[in-house]
Amino acid sequence: MDFYYGMAQIVGVHTLLGLSAYIVLLTGQVSLAQAGFFAIGAYAAGMLTVLAGWHLVPALGVGGLAGAVTACAVGFPALRVKGLMLVIATLAFGEGVRIFFFNFDYQIARGDITIGPLGGEGFRQIRFFPENGWTTAEVMFFIWVFVIIVMLVLWWFDRSRYGAVLRAVGEDEVAAQSVGINLTAVKVSSMTIGGAIAGLGGGLYAHYTTHIEHSSFNVLVATFAIAYPIVGGLSNVLGTLLAVIFVQVFLVEGLRFLGDWRNLLFGALIVLAMNLRPHGLLDAQALARVRRLFGKDRGA
Amino acid sequence: MLDFLQAVLDGMLFGATYALIGIGFTLVFGVMHKINMAYAAASIGGAYCGLLILQVMAGASPWLVFLCAFASGGLIGYLVYLACFHFIPLSSPLATLMSTVGMLLLIDEIIVHATEGRALGYPAVFDDVMLRAGEFSLRGDLLLVFGVSVLCMAVLLFLLYKTRLGLATRAVSQQPVAAQLCGIRVTRVNAVTFVITGLLGGIAGAMIGASVGALSPLLTVPLTVKGLIVTVIGGLGSIPGAIVAGLLVGAFENAFQVLRGVTERDLYVMLLLFAFLIFRPGGLFAPKGGGG
Repeated sequence: MDFYYGMAQIVGVHTLLGLSAYIVLLTGQVSLAQAGFFAIGAYAAGMLTVLAGWHLVPALGVGGLAGAVTACAVGFPALRVKGLMLVIATLAFGEGVRIFFFNFDYQIARGDITIGPLGGEGFRQIRFFPENGWTTAEVMFFIWVFVIIVMLVLWWFDRSRYGAVLRAVGEDEVAAQSVGINLTAVKVSSMTIGGAIAGLGGGLYAHYTTHIEHSSFNVLVATFAIAYPIVGGLSNVLGTLLAVIFVQVFLVEGLRFLGDWRNLLFGALIVLAMNLRPHGLLDAQALARVRRLFGKDRGA
Repeated sequence: MLDFLQAVLDGMLFGATYALIGIGFTLVFGVMHKINMAYAAASIGGAYCGLLILQVMAGASPWLVFLCAFASGGLIGYLVYLACFHFIPLSSPLATLMSTVGMLLLIDEIIVHATEGRALGYPAVFDDVMLRAGEFSLRGDLLLVFGVSVLCMAVLLFLLYKTRLGLATRAVSQQPVAAQLCGIRVTRVNAVTFVITGLLGGIAGAMIGASVGALSPLLTVPLTVKGLIVTVIGGLGSIPGAIVAGLLVGAFENAFQVLRGVTERDLYVMLLLFAFLIFRPGGLFAPKGGGG
């Protein structure tokens, strides 16, 4: 049973990562910096619980805050450029963060061992859960509480005025600007919220794996972050969850019997999925069809 | 000080390969307004295919390997176009971004599979030649890299500005609809652009292999990042920009490798990029009407 709980933990953390990119994608911006915010949250929360002895919940809060502050700071210069330039700028930022942690040493002696991040070797001994005797199931529920809160908040955003503004900017910047929407404020705020979600997800990730290192936050992770919402479709937060389950459960675990060939199939399946469904697995049409199927079409 | 200048010089010569990769990104961007994230991986893939000739003809000359890499680069470029662009509507930029990222992962994995993840030695020419110019020395293999890259750029510029094909390509890049109305087959021009950038990529990959002395799948992601940085610093869509920025990034990177060590050098390349984004967001040679 622990195996399934472990998988649910992975799905939860990756959903947070995907959702952090989702809200930025709603404004039509593609950010490959999410792995960077994820890393900052992970290191910040990990250092607070391990080195400063904080409880996990405030540490996660600080991790999320650190992600948000960095995202806000990155957002201002990066959003001066648009579209594909932003992809490159954020990609470079994410790699920059990774290289920073590759060179980051902050060790303190605790008894006869030293603990803390150590450059290329990474940051071991993030043992909050085992030290406090949490079972795998409890950790899973703890993670999913955050996932559900974030999903509900984003769901609510989507139905609020703010969500409409985000999508308006994503659909047509010029039209949005002409009705008096402040583009910079909208983009930087969505980037900041995305950074907070990624930081929170990073904090949770650091604690359930107990060991993080720079390579856990490489370009592949940044790609995954945007791949989930794009593959899942941007019409609904559930699309991201669906894509995470498709990738992590079906592709990564379900195809394990294929061995090394699984990795080959992975890239090919992304290419195939985008050829067949360029607007994502769960696009607006599919969503409407599902609603009709369950007879719950509320005329939306 | 002398060592430092020597490092800058070496870096600039090696930067010619970054310039070639940057040109590939920028050309596809100029014509289709899309980024082909799989480009650097396809280039390395082309260089690997060059090694196949050694399987058929043991002891083939390095020049033959380069030629084979050149040709297979073009073929891979066409395949990438078919798989990632041809069938996806142009109106969904996210879909092509994602499909090329998928392609990047796929090419990477094919290489890992075919070589069992080991680095393969790459043949080099002139690697025993050392030219002396006063206090400085120039490595023969780096000079070759530089020379071949300059030759490729010259051929490309000739192709773009002196032939009908180049005229059509530039027409599509400026006004795809108007170009189509003039009877230019836009999909064909797009496909040809991919083949040309693929050929360039194959030669760039072979040059990288020759000057590093080995090829490894680990090269693809850093090369993608460097190529994209070169594209931005040079100004998206600008070929002269990509050339100058490639040399600049190469020199800058090697200078900081001497000053701060190999683990930190890329950090400073990123900082260079951010300096450009803040102070000159359109790049060195910004197209008229602002960047982006």
